[in-house]
Amino acid sequence: MINSTKIKTTKQIEGNFRIIRTLFAVLIALVFAFFLIATVSDNVLKDFTTLLIGPLANSSRMITVISKMIPLLFTGVAVSLVYSAGQINIAAEGAFFAGAVAATSVALIEGIPAPIHIILTILAGSVVGAMVMGIPAIMHVKYDVVTIVSSLMMNYVALYGGLYLILNPFRDPLAGFEASFPFAKSAILPHLFGNQRLHIGLIIGFVVVFLISILLYNRPFGYSIRTVGQNKKFANYSGIPVNKTIVLTSLLAGAIAGIGGTVETLGNYSRFVYTGFTNHGWDGIMLAVLCRNNPRLIPFAAFFLAYLKTSADSLNLTSKIPPEIISVIQAIIIIFIAAERFLAKWEHRKIVANSQRALAIEKGE
Amino acid sequence: MLDYIFSVNFIFAVIRMGTPLLFVGMAAVIGAKANILCIAYEGMMLFAALGGVIGSAYSQNIFVGMITGILAGSIIATIFAYFVLYLNTKPLLTGLALNTFGTGGTVYIMYLLTGMKLDTSSLASLQFPTVHIPIIKDIPFIGPMLSGHNFLSYLAFVVVIAVWYFIFKTKMGLRIRAVGEDPDAAASVGINVKKTKFIAMIISGVIASLGGLFMSMGYMPYFTNAMTAGRGFIGIAAQNLGRGNPIFTMIYTLVFGGAMAIGNTAQSFRLPSQFASMTPYLVTLIGLVVIGSRNKKLKTKKQNIK
Repeated sequence: MINSTKIKTTKQIEGNFRIIRTLFAVLIALVFAFFLIATVSDNVLKDFTTLLIGPLANSSRMITVISKMIPLLFTGVAVSLVYSAGQINIAAEGAFFAGAVAATSVALIEGIPAPIHIILTILAGSVVGAMVMGIPAIMHVKYDVVTIVSSLMMNYVALYGGLYLILNPFRDPLAGFEASFPFAKSAILPHLFGNQRLHIGLIIGFVVVFLISILLYNRPFGYSIRTVGQNKKFANYSGIPVNKTIVLTSLLAGAIAGIGGTVETLGNYSRFVYTGFTNHGWDGIMLAVLCRNNPRLIPFAAFFLAYLKTSADSLNLTSKIPPEIISVIQAIIIIFIAAERFLAKWEHRKIVANSQRALAIEKGE
Repeated sequence: MLDYIFSVNFIFAVIRMGTPLLFVGMAAVIGAKANILCIAYEGMMLFAALGGVIGSAYSQNIFVGMITGILAGSIIATIFAYFVLYLNTKPLLTGLALNTFGTGGTVYIMYLLTGMKLDTSSLASLQFPTVHIPIIKDIPFIGPMLSGHNFLSYLAFVVVIAVWYFIFKTKMGLRIRAVGEDPDAAASVGINVKKTKFIAMIISGVIASLGGLFMSMGYMPYFTNAMTAGRGFIGIAAQNLGRGNPIFTMIYTLVFGGAMAIGNTAQSFRLPSQFASMTPYLVTLIGLVVIGSRNKKLKTKKQNIK
């Protein structure tokens, strides 16, 4: 009886191994990064240290980390949500971009009082974002179209459609570079703590994380989403409207990604300046993988990724190492965390040993 | 604009733009027949494109370039197959990771070798030759359409026939289809499912690599950052529309090639270039809906008969 407290259930061991696998994935990625740095760098140790603890060097860099984390909160939650419903919808990238464009179109209007103007931009961003992620879902439900392919195509449609608007009707010929007219002052998001790089998008982001976590784990609709994601047939038999759930979830996820694009643009810039994909949607996929679609964990993962990106930027400033090193690290982390059989033998041995011990104790009683 | 579509230049451009799509389309056909959801073709193509440039630049031999390119692309295919088949990694995530790896990794390697991050124009890499077909090239109208293409463009059409033959007429092709349709049944007659899928993935990778080689050693004379620009995905879409049949897939890749060709010249018709760039993706989306609704009708008809 004394020992039985030490006996874990198989589920607990599997849970532990998820964490171990994540740590190993990060470790392998860092070892790989070390070798990559060694191929370019003159001072490997110094550069590798910058990669590891560069952002901690001064408070300005830590603010950069937090600032880079804001858009990731939105795309991370959006992707987690849609993946929870089992939908491999990768249009978060397009939804983020189109949301930013839609918000821009509203932000250019002068003469709306500030709080209403901001709400209107967010509304515009969320509606257009919802369309971008919702259309592939509707196509899937109605016409059996494979979501990965259609959502990917949707990204490009959103990108070029948005660029058309920015570079033609909204383009400011006096800007000196490819950008829209400046936003109306009333549309620019208020800053936090008087800091130029922190804006209320951070608070909105955490609110979204909180609300979606509650929706997904404490509300009937969230249960429907997860059931559809795990087993469509079972969901159907238990009376859950599968198609409706898929479409609504995708619309909601798109709206979140669209709001992400909105706050990122209106919080950091005075005009629309993107000329291509921002990669926040792809990063969202990595975050969802890291968190196993659990929105509660997104802030931690977003912080981790923002931290890595900041180190890569500072590494790029102080050394010859191209910031693309981050893509490589990201790829390695995703692939090893997603590898279910990675470390499986070790996990299996643990589970067997654990069960044998449990049996022995039972017999001993 | 109609003038252009009925011109010799247009057909020539369709074949040129369609070449990389044809290769990826055929790669995707083999992947689909083995029932592997692979989206890593972007990564394979990028690695192959860079590998070919590096190999040919350092050896000054086009065959060495071709082999290094194919090897580079196949490495990505091998990693994909190993993780998906032996480590039970979700194919979508593996593909995604390898595409990210492809974009970032190629820039990293390019920077390492040339000190440049945008393109490899400083490397003296080679290009595949253009082929002027004797006799045909002298026929008016047809000559300028069909002759004078890059060697790889002709190879692409050979690959279509080869893939069709391979899938439907060879033992290995039959095994791949069996494994794709019902792995348990295939295993019960002694086919090694994982090994067969692995082989299918490698073949698929080699074909996709040829598409990558065309990008940097035919379409363009050097490698540029993320130069495949979603072509790997358009190839998958074509395969989807053609429902895994090499010949139908070929037709759809040429449709997309046509959309791209129109896109490239749209500016001369005073259309904004963004609409032009959007065309192939929009056409794909519409195509997916049209085919999807047709399939759905067929399905409901079948159910009604039952």
